[in-house]
Amino acid sequence: MAKKDLRDENGKRIHPYIPELCEQLRTGDCDRREFLRTASLLGVSATAAYAMAGKILGEEAPVKSAAAQEPKMGGTLRSAMAVQRMDDPSTYDWEEMSNQTRFICEFLTRTGTDNVTRPYLAESWEASDDLKTWTFKLRQGVKWSNGDDFNADDVVHNFTRWLDPEVGSSNIGLFSGMVEETADGGKRMIDGAVEKIDQHTVRLNLSAPNLAVPENLYNYPTAIVHRGFGVDYEADLASNPIGTGPYELSEFRVGEVCRLRKRAGYWAGDVFLDEIHYIDTGDDPSASIAALASGQVDHVHEVDISAIDLIERIPNAVLHEAVTAQTGVARMQVDKAPFDNLKVRQAVAACMDHAKVLEVAYRGRGKIGENHHVCPIHPEYFQLPALTRDVEKAKALLAEAGVELPLRLKIDLGQADAWHLAAMQEFKQQLEPAGIILELNPMPGASYWDIWDKTPFGFTSWTHRPLGVMVLNLGYRSGVPWNESNYANPAFDAALDEASATLGAKERQAKMEKVQKILQDDAVIAQPLWRSVFSATTSMVKGYSIHPTLYHQFEGVWLDT
Amino acid sequence: MLIFITRRVASMVLTMIAVSMLLFAALEVNIENVAVKVLGPYSSLEQREIWLERNGYFDPIYVRYARWLGDFAVGDFGESIRFKTEVSEVMVPRLINTAILALCVFAVVIPVALVLGVLSGMREGSKLDRSISVTSIVTTSVPEFASAPLLSVVFVFWLGLLPGTSGMAAGFDPIQLILPAAVLIIYDFGYVTRMTRASMAEVMTTNYIRTAVLKGLPYRRVIVRHALRNALIAPFTVIMLQVNWLLSGVIVVEYFFAYKGFGALLLEASLNQDIYLIEACAMVAVFVAVMTQALADIGYTYLNPRIRFS
Repeated sequence: MAKKDLRDENGKRIHPYIPELCEQLRTGDCDRREFLRTASLLGVSATAAYAMAGKILGEEAPVKSAAAQEPKMGGTLRSAMAVQRMDDPSTYDWEEMSNQTRFICEFLTRTGTDNVTRPYLAESWEASDDLKTWTFKLRQGVKWSNGDDFNADDVVHNFTRWLDPEVGSSNIGLFSGMVEETADGGKRMIDGAVEKIDQHTVRLNLSAPNLAVPENLYNYPTAIVHRGFGVDYEADLASNPIGTGPYELSEFRVGEVCRLRKRAGYWAGDVFLDEIHYIDTGDDPSASIAALASGQVDHVHEVDISAIDLIERIPNAVLHEAVTAQTGVARMQVDKAPFDNLKVRQAVAACMDHAKVLEVAYRGRGKIGENHHVCPIHPEYFQLPALTRDVEKAKALLAEAGVELPLRLKIDLGQADAWHLAAMQEFKQQLEPAGIILELNPMPGASYWDIWDKTPFGFTSWTHRPLGVMVLNLGYRSGVPWNESNYANPAFDAALDEASATLGAKERQAKMEKVQKILQDDAVIAQPLWRSVFSATTSMVKGYSIHPTLYHQFEGVWLDT
Repeated sequence: MLIFITRRVASMVLTMIAVSMLLFAALEVNIENVAVKVLGPYSSLEQREIWLERNGYFDPIYVRYARWLGDFAVGDFGESIRFKTEVSEVMVPRLINTAILALCVFAVVIPVALVLGVLSGMREGSKLDRSISVTSIVTTSVPEFASAPLLSVVFVFWLGLLPGTSGMAAGFDPIQLILPAAVLIIYDFGYVTRMTRASMAEVMTTNYIRTAVLKGLPYRRVIVRHALRNALIAPFTVIMLQVNWLLSGVIVVEYFFAYKGFGALLLEASLNQDIYLIEACAMVAVFVAVMTQALADIGYTYLNPRIRFS
């Protein structure tokens, strides 16, 4: 007998997993946050998901506070942030670049500060039961700033570019299920991986199940550009700033300023701010704070941990904190000596006292890492037995590996983040008792990014991603461009495939045990901590909340002047 | 004099050629490195080969050097990797900004330092001399990286009187020049004062000044007519050398106050390994260095008759 499709009151098909999810929420097997997240990922609108959760948990609908202020229109938000290149959004490698572009070019989906992914340029989506086929209904009536209609051709064009190795986009790792290997070891998009169903419907056909497709579509290099980008005109957004967003580019100078001006005819209605100005205050973090203190800017993109006390002392300044899955990993290339010896890597990892590094290098503001790059705030995080520092075990491992002591190692690290150096200085002391002498090689941030995937031993920062499987797919799966450790383990890939294909939080969490354990035991990384991130605004800025990835969502921001 | 100037210019050109060779050797000999910097770390080997071929990087090294030098001589510095535009388009406004800052600094430092130096050197060991000397030694010994945060704490965070950064994002604003200029003035005026004082004090001990005093000339006339002319020759050279310092030595101040000047550009270029920009900045800095030195020498010769007529 054919399985009967479940439909909601509007006749729209709902994913068969939804009833089970509701049941889980009722019995307490999943919490409200996880329910909202999964339901909206499966195509239930965020409003409906909140309503469902409210009904199941017997909550009253939130009543708008009477004291809430009425937002004011107008004004210019000035934000202190590095102004970087604005060429091809799919090749961006800094969130600052994506923030400059964020109000010009939009995304198919949008993950809020609450970790829930909602519709954006895609109005709704549906996943097949096996999570291999994803159908996106695109919003109608959206116009590009040049007057063209936004449609399926735009989306197909973007996917085609992202998955073309010649373009050099990291998205090729995010959508690995749409890519195949060629005979000469290269990669290319599988024929028919992206399919135009009609003018406003696009289907993605994946070779492997993937739950995080909607979330991947809000990753920073996935801004949707116009279908003529790189075809009818040069792939350079600054010279051809065509977008669907509420703002247009009015002035742009790398290293100095990026000004955005509200444009007429935005599909989602009016936004509050007339203009958004990004002002580059250079690499000195104290300069942006001085600018905030003297009223030259209203928002500081990122406040370094060393400056949080200073912000708290400035009158009218507000510090914003987000607990995130941002981290740094001391990663070892598994194909370069001496790290090609598993025991050496395990010895290095065994020496780390994670809590101590967190305290010394990041003032305890964050969570401890566990060498498997899945964060306690991730919904699928599985709690493995706590790691403890074990110098004796490290010594034994080194003896088994037959290396001569003292073992001299050199780690490369960028100086852009001060805590990297502090963390590695602490780690150096922790390694010493085991007979490992660690030499630190600090270098300018940009120089580090030249060698980040080449050096045998390096300390690399990774940004927050809403799901644990996302970063594992990007950085640890065999052969993906950002696999900086050259780690290649078929067992890990298989376990990761399985976890990535599992819908339910409980079941996925169970499968993550294996994934996390393999990575932890293979000691590819020594990961000290998960860090909180901070930003600051003046008290005049309303409706702002910090995003864990430092993505700017200023559409609801207004100035109380 | 003409022979002297010709000689100076020739040695200037030679110095610059020597530096350009070093620069070329450091940055352009390893062509693989150039291609990686220009095309980015994710470029394929094939792309790099094509780019190198198209830009003549496979020519013999002397051909490449000659072409490179020729381009430089006519002001074609290539395209900046970070700014994605002609190097000169980035560099010229930055040079102008630094020149504005330098002018503000000179406008205060030169009169203040000369007056204080002369007053101080006129009567060596007097109370006035001691207080000026102590002040100038103290201010000169505080480096910019200490005085900049200090001034910032007082005037930006505490008193709230001055803007914290000087990026001029909303157009030129003279108020924003105050803090960076103040830091440079505090550091520099003491040094020039000390040099002027030394020169003045030396002149004051010479026989012709003693004669002038003894023959009964008014003290004021002795100083203005006789002493100053000779005492100011040495400070002239010192001041010329400050031009060089104000161009590339202001990195700390420009970085701290986010001032978009030449020093900050030099730092940005090296942090981002923007190779054509580094080359252009380095050559400009060297040009200004040798130029000011040559001008100082020529001016010194002109001002000092003992050298002029020897």
